[in-house]
Amino acid sequence: MNIQARRKAENYIALFLSFLAAVFGLFWLVFILGDVLIHGIGALKPALFLKDPTPVGVLGGGLRNAFVGQALITVFATLIGVPIGILGGTFLAEYARGRAIARVISILADIMVSVPSIVVGTFVYAIMVRPIGHFSGWAGAVALAVIMIPVVLRTTEDMLSLVPWTMREAAFALGAPYYKVIIQIVYRGAATGILTGIILSIARVAGETAPLLFTSFNNAYYSLDMNGPMSSLTVIIFQYAMGPYDDWHVQAWAASFVITMAVLALTITGRLIIKWRYK
Amino acid sequence: MSGSGETAIEARELNFFYAGNVHAIKRVTVPAYRNKVTALIGPSGCGKTTLLRCFNRMHDLYPKNRYEGEILFEGNNILEKTTDLINLRSRIGMVFQKPTPFPMTIFDNIAYGLKLKGITKRSELSERVEKALKNSALWDESKDKLNNSAYDLSGGQQQRLCIARALAVEPDVILFDEPTSALDPISTAKIEELIISLKKSVTILIVTHNMQQAARISDWTGFMMLGELIEYDMTDKIFTAPSEKLTEDYITGRFG
Amino acid sequence: MTFLRKKDPFDLAFAMLTGLASVTVILLIIGIFVVLFRESSLALGKFGFFKFLVSTDWNPVTEKFGAATSIYGTCVTTVLALLISIPVSIGIAIFVTEIAPDFLKGPIGIAIELLAAIPSIIYGMWGLFTLTPIMMKYIEPALQKSLGNVPLVGILFQGTPMGIDLLSASVILSIMIIPFTASISRDAFNLTPAVVKESAYAVGATKWEVLKNVVLPYSKLGVFGGIALSLGRALGETMAVAFVLGNNHRIATSLFDAAATITVTLANEFTEADNDMYYSSLFALALTLFIMSFIILAIAKFFLLKAERRYSR
Repeated sequence: MNIQARRKAENYIALFLSFLAAVFGLFWLVFILGDVLIHGIGALKPALFLKDPTPVGVLGGGLRNAFVGQALITVFATLIGVPIGILGGTFLAEYARGRAIARVISILADIMVSVPSIVVGTFVYAIMVRPIGHFSGWAGAVALAVIMIPVVLRTTEDMLSLVPWTMREAAFALGAPYYKVIIQIVYRGAATGILTGIILSIARVAGETAPLLFTSFNNAYYSLDMNGPMSSLTVIIFQYAMGPYDDWHVQAWAASFVITMAVLALTITGRLIIKWRYK
Repeated sequence: MSGSGETAIEARELNFFYAGNVHAIKRVTVPAYRNKVTALIGPSGCGKTTLLRCFNRMHDLYPKNRYEGEILFEGNNILEKTTDLINLRSRIGMVFQKPTPFPMTIFDNIAYGLKLKGITKRSELSERVEKALKNSALWDESKDKLNNSAYDLSGGQQQRLCIARALAVEPDVILFDEPTSALDPISTAKIEELIISLKKSVTILIVTHNMQQAARISDWTGFMMLGELIEYDMTDKIFTAPSEKLTEDYITGRFG
Repeated sequence: MTFLRKKDPFDLAFAMLTGLASVTVILLIIGIFVVLFRESSLALGKFGFFKFLVSTDWNPVTEKFGAATSIYGTCVTTVLALLISIPVSIGIAIFVTEIAPDFLKGPIGIAIELLAAIPSIIYGMWGLFTLTPIMMKYIEPALQKSLGNVPLVGILFQGTPMGIDLLSASVILSIMIIPFTASISRDAFNLTPAVVKESAYAVGATKWEVLKNVVLPYSKLGVFGGIALSLGRALGETMAVAFVLGNNHRIATSLFDAAATITVTLANEFTEADNDMYYSSLFALALTLFIMSFIILAIAKFFLLKAERRYSR
């Protein structure tokens, strides 16, 4: 084969392989989501949301305590993690802009974003669960907050940096002090971006299991007490899926379906907001 | 039309150093006369914008900048460390090169400076917003959409919004930093007209890289180069019979 | 008119508040390190850090522990996952940047992001109930039949395929980490200036040749960064692997063996630890993992920063 033909063939093969790679990737996405859909949607019934788990081996029962627990833990994690993240990102983008400390903290935050979440779980266990002597919803919320902080901090920093500097100068020129410039002008300008960052960080922690395993642990009963162990959807899925009962497996799929839909809805909403706003 | 009269704000033997001791303004003395338009022209990098930003102490926002000399305003040297910058900036306003509307409604944009000063009564705010918009020739185009986002306005309208915003707090002096360089010719003409009409109530300093604009709208013109004020005189004189050779070379386009 | 200078107390307060919030990041990292170290000091004191790392013991009864088996599992699954996912990710990046028509670029990008957004426990569920049966019934027997008798390579395919093993875990892990390398590589490819590519086309290069000789070398820092990030994420992945790896502390020689990774060990045994040495050894594992991922993620960041610096002009 002459060299031209060989090059052409090589080109065609390489590009075709890339196409296959894309198909491969999409295939898994469709396969996984499809599976969750098929297995999960059949298992969805009102009892799932309204009833609590039944004793081991007994059929029926739902996951009300897990839904409520997951919601509580996530809400509190957000209340703890998001303000710290936003304020921290503000510091990096405003008061410390251009300074070395901003660089350092930004890089460390980026690393923290990807740190193993189970390590965070063991850390919170050591500082919150062990000293107190029992698991708690608070510990779970703190563990999730620790994961959220760097995510929110970095998106806030990025979004604030997108606001043009002259807008701040225009506010200064009217006699505004810096904190007012930030709160009244810059935050408003970056509001949608920051909101998206929050939404995406919630999506991130809503599906986390590992950090909850040794912090909020699990609770077979319906409980609103954050001071004690608290049930969560993700941990229940782990427990039920590894268990021997078919009934449990069915419920695990239903719970997986709900979590997946919630996380995907949040993620898509977040991305759409960014697209629409920053067109 | 010409003649000097009272000085509204004046730089005297002003030196300015950027961080790292970069000597950017060299012994400049320039009086801006009350209710007159004073233009600063010169080639890129000559220091005209740097000089302008001394008057409202914008440079203070950035670390390690340093002033020497005096800028006199109402009998005080505003370069003193004890100067209340927040107050100063409500008396000396600034309009920037690119229109910078705040992410708020048109009304809130104009009212922002007023709210900073502590004015909260809705009726007073409405009155002053209307006055500012009328004085910046934007009232007719915006009176029905005061509660719309400022971003709904066109570029030229946004710049007039910024002018109205600066006017609302009723400053004594307004500093214009190349206010029309980002605008189309029609908007430019509108704003030039506006500036001329504004001098009845405010003293105006304008930096422009467009000599013809300076010739059109200013009463006094200062020509700068490499941080020095080469010549400062009535606009007619500068453009018809300048005293300095450098000025003449610049005016006639021998260098840009 | 008074020109008295008033330093606004609110400004100072707000600056301090935000500063404190940002410092939490530093405090957390130091805190995690210190706490993990403290909790593992009992075990590390007894075994010695390096001995702990290489010991294959893991016996809660005799209270002898070592990290080697867990580290081994972590490394094998991670490396295998990378081997599978890197070509796929780069292929996806190539497809999206050079081949796909414009209207497809957006949706495919979103699809990849969705892949990244799926919680790892969902991967675990799917892996346990759908993938492992397929692996056990079809894929693994097929592999064993075809490669089991090949010298050297054959060892990897011994034993009864049960589906719950290193291979399944690696496959799931590889799917999970595709998005990181894919999207970072895509961004890196897009940074190649059009003029450079055009000059290559102008001398008659094929699309593949432009990619191979111009785009890939130009973006290699970014691509390495993406790979390192995928590696870092894979190291710390727990739930997806926990469902399908089993929890068998040994240095497995076959891909069809169950094994253990640091994360899976922690997930399964942490709440069962009934003596101080056990507990401390688990923390020692956590510490090891923390250090490993921190280093890898720092390397990833280093590459990505270098790429940014060099190419954003």
